[in-house]
Parts: sequence; structure tokens; C-alpha cells
Amino acid sequence: MLQFDRVSLTSQTEALRQEVRDFLQDTKTHFPRPNSDFVTGHDPEFSRKLGAQGWIGMTWPEEYGGSNRSFFERYVVTEEILAAGAPVSAHWIADRQSGPLLLRFGTSEQKQTYLPQITRGEAFFSIGMSEPDTGSDLASVRTTAIREGDQYRINGTKIWTTDAHRNHFIICLVRTEPASDNRHAGLSQIIVDLRNDGAQVRPIANMAGGEDFNEVVFEDVFVPADRVVGEPGNGWEQVTSELAYERSGPERFLSAFRVFVELVRACGDDPAPHQAAAIGRIAAHIMTMRRMSISVAGMLEQHKDVGVEAALVKELGNNFEKILPEIARLAAPASGQIKAFRETFEETLMLSPSFTLRGGTREILRGVIARGLGLR
Amino acid sequence: MSEQVDTRQLILDSAQKIFSDHCDKKLLDQAETGQFPDTLWQVVRENGFDQLGSYATGTDWNDLFAFVQTCGRFAVPLPMTETLLANQWAGAGGLSSIGEIIDGQIVSVPWGRSVSRVVGIEADTREVVVVESPQVVHQGSNMAGEPNDIIAIPDNAQKIEVPQDPYALSALGRINLMAGCLQTVLDLGIQFATERTQFGRSISKFQAIQHSLAVVAAEVAAALRAADAAVDAVSSDRFLDEVAASKARVGEAVGVVAEQVHQIHGAMGFTHEHQLHHYTRRAWAWRDEWGNEFYWQARLGMALAQLGADNVWDFIATRG
Repeated sequence: MLQFDRVSLTSQTEALRQEVRDFLQDTKTHFPRPNSDFVTGHDPEFSRKLGAQGWIGMTWPEEYGGSNRSFFERYVVTEEILAAGAPVSAHWIADRQSGPLLLRFGTSEQKQTYLPQITRGEAFFSIGMSEPDTGSDLASVRTTAIREGDQYRINGTKIWTTDAHRNHFIICLVRTEPASDNRHAGLSQIIVDLRNDGAQVRPIANMAGGEDFNEVVFEDVFVPADRVVGEPGNGWEQVTSELAYERSGPERFLSAFRVFVELVRACGDDPAPHQAAAIGRIAAHIMTMRRMSISVAGMLEQHKDVGVEAALVKELGNNFEKILPEIARLAAPASGQIKAFRETFEETLMLSPSFTLRGGTREILRGVIARGLGLR
Repeated sequence: MSEQVDTRQLILDSAQKIFSDHCDKKLLDQAETGQFPDTLWQVVRENGFDQLGSYATGTDWNDLFAFVQTCGRFAVPLPMTETLLANQWAGAGGLSSIGEIIDGQIVSVPWGRSVSRVVGIEADTREVVVVESPQVVHQGSNMAGEPNDIIAIPDNAQKIEVPQDPYALSALGRINLMAGCLQTVLDLGIQFATERTQFGRSISKFQAIQHSLAVVAAEVAAALRAADAAVDAVSSDRFLDEVAASKARVGEAVGVVAEQVHQIHGAMGFTHEHQLHHYTRRAWAWRDEWGNEFYWQARLGMALAQLGADNVWDFIATRG
């Protein structure tokens, strides 16, 4: 469990890396801010261009618009676009999470409907898990979806739903049966069309000055019964497997990467010893976490369960992407050519509280690891 | 490849069995008073562990450093890294040790008093000298009680050329000792937390303890992966950079792991009677030997600064 495989990328993936770099060079006009956080740049046009390259849903079968490529190839595309600070938020959840969820549990009709649109960068998804009274204790969700004929009537409120005001669909975790002693039973996942089904979406301003997450209110919202993902009542199993997809990728340690790049720039080619040490320290952490993340890509390629390993990568990655701006702040020169550094640093620092919250809080992940150690 | 890995597993399994039989608290206590473990050295030789990495045995750097990691897990009180590296550089030559040349002497030589050969490395020039039948100038020890002596360099000391950077290879030895050692510290933490009962239940059931051990586990996983990455780079042109990243990262893990696991052990882990300190003191000592975190961070950072901001990603990403 703690011994991550020594996996190396092949020359095949390196050719792809060059393709991605050329693409990023050609699409530079889409990068308004030097920021490598995966949540903050929502650019449908960039996502469509990426989709046209075959780089969304790239591990999925060709019959659903995918490219049938390996998890290593997906890894390379992902890390290159993140490190460059490209705007990925529009397609991110659909590519990483909703698509794989539908591929694994969805009906054949759902796969045919949604997956090709996702791969073209035309269907963007949000995640409807948290509620005003439901955070880490996900099984306590109270939003209900009650079957009425060939429809479900949805009532309740989802919150912290990133990009619900910009995206097309949301997959909500809802109660389709009343709560019982088995609190994991009676939960289902259901697809809601954010633009046509009548859900009310209200953006919530965040402390960094952005409006990325939302409150989504369902008051007698009706959706067709065939929008339930997989089997009704199977929601808990699906949602936990979905969460494992989102924990090991390079987005878990690259959110603050541009701060590192600007630190190197600000320190120049003859840094003081403490500046060189700060640069080396950051690099050493990123190099190690990157290798661990690639190891997990290898496990995904072999269809292995990555629950604990992904939690380990996220635990290390999220903590470090919060420490990175702190190290950089104290090492950066106090004057001179530091405008770019200060801008990136300040923006990233203000985003950083979210790093250890999204995708499972630090506390939840440590619980997952502790279970893996046999302590729970 | 898989045959090589199978052979390595056989070596490691037998090393593990032998060390778990021999390297108990009594032996470690004796070694820390400077008493050389003759019987253990005999057994190591009988099993051919002192020849690992040699062409004749069909083993390679991977096997050698995997064995060193196993030595770290058991805090083996022998200069095994030093003997194996000296064999690589100067040919088979019995129990050997290595130290750094400072002011015309070889300092911080593990078990210098007990070995038949000492190799000295000059940090700036990477100059290497071999001293046979070494004369001990001063007997000392590191904070873990491992004998660390000062050896004179006689006029007839032989200068040799070595293919890889000898300072970095010595650091790679410490990296693997630390990585192995940290696994044991984690194991001790889990074991203690599971066995110790307070407030009517095993303390492993408390969330604070679970989270502490989760943090330790993540650090150990990172240390193991970082150690492997440096070993994989031994014969490549990026060896120095990889050792730099690895020693810096593993050294940082030591601080976190030792602190957390001592806290879990409470006062018991602070006693001499408990075995925990044999491992934590070694890890603390090893992170400072052959370049501490700052030394290697600064070295790596300087290389990156010279590459320039727009090339740092390429530096990281092309080192899969």
C-alpha cells in the first residue's frame, strides 16, 4: 500500500507531450491569468478545442466518442495543461468524474446521450453532493427524488456546486427512499439539466473574489425517470467509487505550481542560498508526488482499486500546495521584478483554503488512510 | 527483468529473516557502546551480502540499495553501505568504511576503528582516496551512538577514479537507510497504538491518533517513492539532481515521522528501554550525513534557477 510502483512514462507518451505543448502554444490567447488551479478558468471554447484534439474522455471507448487511450496518456495531457495554467474548469468534472461514472454505471442510453457530447467539449457537468447541512457526512443528504409515474420529483438544496451557473448538467446524490437504519441505503444519483429542468442556481462569491460555486435549489423539479444513473438505491456505492477518481491526479499537487514558476523567475539565475533551497525544496516535493500520481495512473490502467493510494497522493499534494506559497513568500525578493510573482502568489494564497476541502477534506482522507492501515 | 526482481526478493527475504533474528535491542545496545557485532558480520559474509552489486554475483545497484534499505529497517549496526560502495570503487576488500575528507583527515567514518579499509571523499572536488589498515586518530559517535571515527590519511594513500559521483552515492546510501528505517518507525507506531489502551479502548480508535498515523504513512510512502527514484537514476545523467530531490524529500519526512510517532508512544517511547529511539535517532543522524536537506535543496534549486523559470516544468516532467 505504501510502496508505490516504479512506473515510468514511455516514449509514446512523450510524443504526445510534445503535441500538447504545441497545442498550448497555439491557444495561448485563452490563458488570461497565470494560475494553475483547476477550478478558476472556465472557457468553453478552449474546452471545445481540447475536445477536437481527442483529449477529453480520452481513455473511453471509441463508440462513445473516446480515444481508447491509456491512463498514462491522459496523465500527460492533464499535467501539461495544468502546469501551463490553461483554463480547464468547464470540462474538468465531466472528463474526470461524471463521464467515468456514467461509463461504469450508466445505462446504454445515458452513455450514448452524454459521453460523446462530453468528449466534444459540449456538455459540462457539476457535482451535486454537498448540502447546507451535509458536508463530510455525505450519507446525511436530505434532497429527495420521489418517483411519480415516469418522472422523479426533486426537492432540496445542493451547495458548493462548482460552475453550476455555467454548466449544462448536474449529477445529484438524492434520497429516493426514506432514511432507514442503514443510512447508505435508499440513495441514488440522478442527472438534472441545469438549463431546462427548472432548478434555481445562485452563485456564491468566494473570498478570492471569484464566483465559481453555487447554491442550487430544487423546488418540485421534475425529471424523467431514466435520468437515474445506474440502479436506484445504488447511489452510495457509486458516489464512493466516483470520489476515488478525483483524488490522485496532478490537479492535487499543481494548484499552486505557477507560484513556483514565478518564484524561480523572480529569484533570477543567481539566487541566494536560501532562495535556491526554497526552489529545490518545492521541486523535490513535486517530483516525488508526481511519481506517486503516475504510479496510481498505472494502477488505474490495471483496473486496480486505488482508494487508499489516491488518498495518500491527495493528502500529500493538498498539504504541499498550501505550503508552497508559504515557502515562496519568504524566499521571494522583496523588491525588483516581482509584480508577476506577487499577483500569482496573492491569488493562489487566497484560493488555498479550498485546496484541502474540495474532493474530500483532509480529515476525511486521513480517515481513509487510517482504514487502510487497519486502524478503523 | 522479472527474474532479476525475483532474485532480489529472495535476497531481501533472507536478509530480513537474518536481521530480524539478530538485530534485537540487546545487539543494538551493545553496538552503541562501540562493541562490534562479530557474529552478525560472520553471518552477513556467509550469506554473501557483502558481495552484493558485484558482477560475479549477478546483482546490480537496485539489489544493493534494496539491501541497504532492509539494513535501515533493522538498524543493522554494520557499515554495510560503506562496504558495498567501497567494493564497487576499489574492488572486494573486506569490511570497509567511508568518510569525508576535511583538513587532511577522513572524518565521520562509521566503524572506522573496526574496518580494514577506509575510503575518503573530498566534497568539493569529489577526489577519492583509499586507506588500507587505517589509523584511528579519534573515536567518536553520531547522535545515534553509531561509532563515527576520524582516520589519518597517510602519504601512500591511493587516489582512485570512480565512475559515479561518490558523494551522491554515499548520500543515496543514507536515503535508503532512512527510507527503510521510517517504515519500522511507522510499524512501531501502529503496533503501539493498537496495543495501548486508554479510556477503555485502544488508542488507535481515537481520531487524533488515526490522523497522526495517516500523516506518517503518507510521509513514508513519499520517502519510499523518492528513494526508488534516486536508485533508478544511478546510471543516468540526472543522477545528482535525483539524489538531491530524494535526500531533501526523505530528510523532510524523517522530522515529521519521528515527531509524530514519539508523540504516539508517550513517555514509554522516551525511555532508553524502549526500542523506538534506536530507529528515530538513526534517522535523525542520517538526514544530516552526506548533505542535509538544505545542502541538496540549494543544489537542486541552483540548477533550476540556471535553467530558468520557463524550463522548470520541462525539468520536472521529462524525469518520469
